[in-house]
Amino acid sequence: MAQLRLEHVDKIYDNKVQAVFDFNLDVKDGELIVLVGPSGCGKSTTLRMIAGLEDISQGRLYLDGKDITQTPAKDRDMAMVFQNYALYGHMTVYENMAFSLTMRKEDPNVIHKKVLAAAEILDLTRQLNKKPSQLSGGQRQRVAMGRSIVRNPKVFLFDEPLSNLDAKLRGATRREILLLHKRLKATMLYVTHDQTEALTLADRIVCMSMGHVQQVGTPLELYDSPANLFVASFIGLPPMNFFETTVAGDRLQGKGFQVPLTAQERSGLSSYQGKEIVLGVRPENITEGGSLPIKVFSNENLGMNTLVHGHLGGERITAKLRGWKNYKENDVVEVRFDRKHFFDKETTNAIGRE
Amino acid sequence: MTQEERLIQKDRMRFIKNKLPANLALFAILFDVFYFVSIYQSDVRDYYYTMMIGASILYNLVFMLACFLASEGLKNYKMSYAWLIGALGVGQIIRIFVLPAQAHATELKKVGRVMGDSQYAFVVGCLILSAVCCLAAAVIGGVRSKVLKQYLASLETKSA
Repeated sequence: MAQLRLEHVDKIYDNKVQAVFDFNLDVKDGELIVLVGPSGCGKSTTLRMIAGLEDISQGRLYLDGKDITQTPAKDRDMAMVFQNYALYGHMTVYENMAFSLTMRKEDPNVIHKKVLAAAEILDLTRQLNKKPSQLSGGQRQRVAMGRSIVRNPKVFLFDEPLSNLDAKLRGATRREILLLHKRLKATMLYVTHDQTEALTLADRIVCMSMGHVQQVGTPLELYDSPANLFVASFIGLPPMNFFETTVAGDRLQGKGFQVPLTAQERSGLSSYQGKEIVLGVRPENITEGGSLPIKVFSNENLGMNTLVHGHLGGERITAKLRGWKNYKENDVVEVRFDRKHFFDKETTNAIGRE
Repeated sequence: MTQEERLIQKDRMRFIKNKLPANLALFAILFDVFYFVSIYQSDVRDYYYTMMIGASILYNLVFMLACFLASEGLKNYKMSYAWLIGALGVGQIIRIFVLPAQAHATELKKVGRVMGDSQYAFVVGCLILSAVCCLAAAVIGGVRSKVLKQYLASLETKSA
């Protein structure tokens, strides 16, 4: 398998539009990196540059220490799985999986062994004689993955592979990709706009926005210590609540509410006394039994939890409370914040990270 | 070839189409087309030979249809189609002695020989090539179908 390194990579199109700015990343051998961000943030462009499908405008790309910036896509020893599967409709599953090796004129017996091994891994053995049109979306995606596996590439690249699947199938296929990664111990780069996929699959996540890398870290780091307001708002479902507040002694003063600070929080915010900051609270970090009154306007029961939407002072808030609740409009729920995140209002960076 | 390689080759047959005999069957059709395009040159306005050409054209239609069906069947390792294409191959050999040989041997007063030497050589060549393709397809297709059948039976025995 392989180590991948991107150094100061930029992508500037002919019309002078810059899609990726100064992208730096070290991918370790066998690591699964997920590039996550909203549409148009440059994640797919970055993946296509790695695959060799787009030119790198500036910067260098290294695979196992070897500069492959100018190497053609076919010689990079990387396999890409696309969102639309890109299978040949007139070929069977077996023929689709064997195609790239047949083109390379490999020994048919060797091809056969590789295809059967890949089919076994992906549980496709019974489907080998079928055409793609006879398969479900999940099975087609597995065939696309199988086509990559038989090549035994140094790096696997996935470009939103689950986007065409329904929610249930997406979950199942996601688990299969995870199992595949554990089994193959392969270096993988995975692009998605779905933060749930990113959190569940990644060894490390690269969160991008407007062509810039916002944060690189483990899923827990991004969830628990977001680097800035963008990462905090993008990672987590339902998204984090944000309140504009002023640091006032031992509390934060918001619009129509006050939040007490712990001694540790006070010391962390000592240089912000009297200044405006943004307070971030995840819905799941809000629990009943405090002194902050939420005036409810709607209630969503999810089974184990209830999403309570309401107002805290003059600001909207969503709380994820344990258990089945039946609050009605204008009910008041007293809550407390168990975990708080603070962001500089001007730089939008998390306070205490710089 | 080692024992393992032979086994893999058999196993591959479960997933790979039997293309060689299927393509040979298509070549048989191609040579037959060359034959019946050429046979019109023997239109000597003689009732017997006009009838023979008509019969030959009808047989060509049947041959092409049957041969194409056999090609598709052989592609999927169907033994019965190996017998069919074998019979078609024998038919092509018999045809040499029906129209071309008779026409080549017959001389009519008003036009001379019904089929000249060069045309005779060409049509016989076409029929022979067509017959060879059919028979080769029959043998290869038949053998492979049998091998696959035996292999699948052995797999079933193992799994049972």
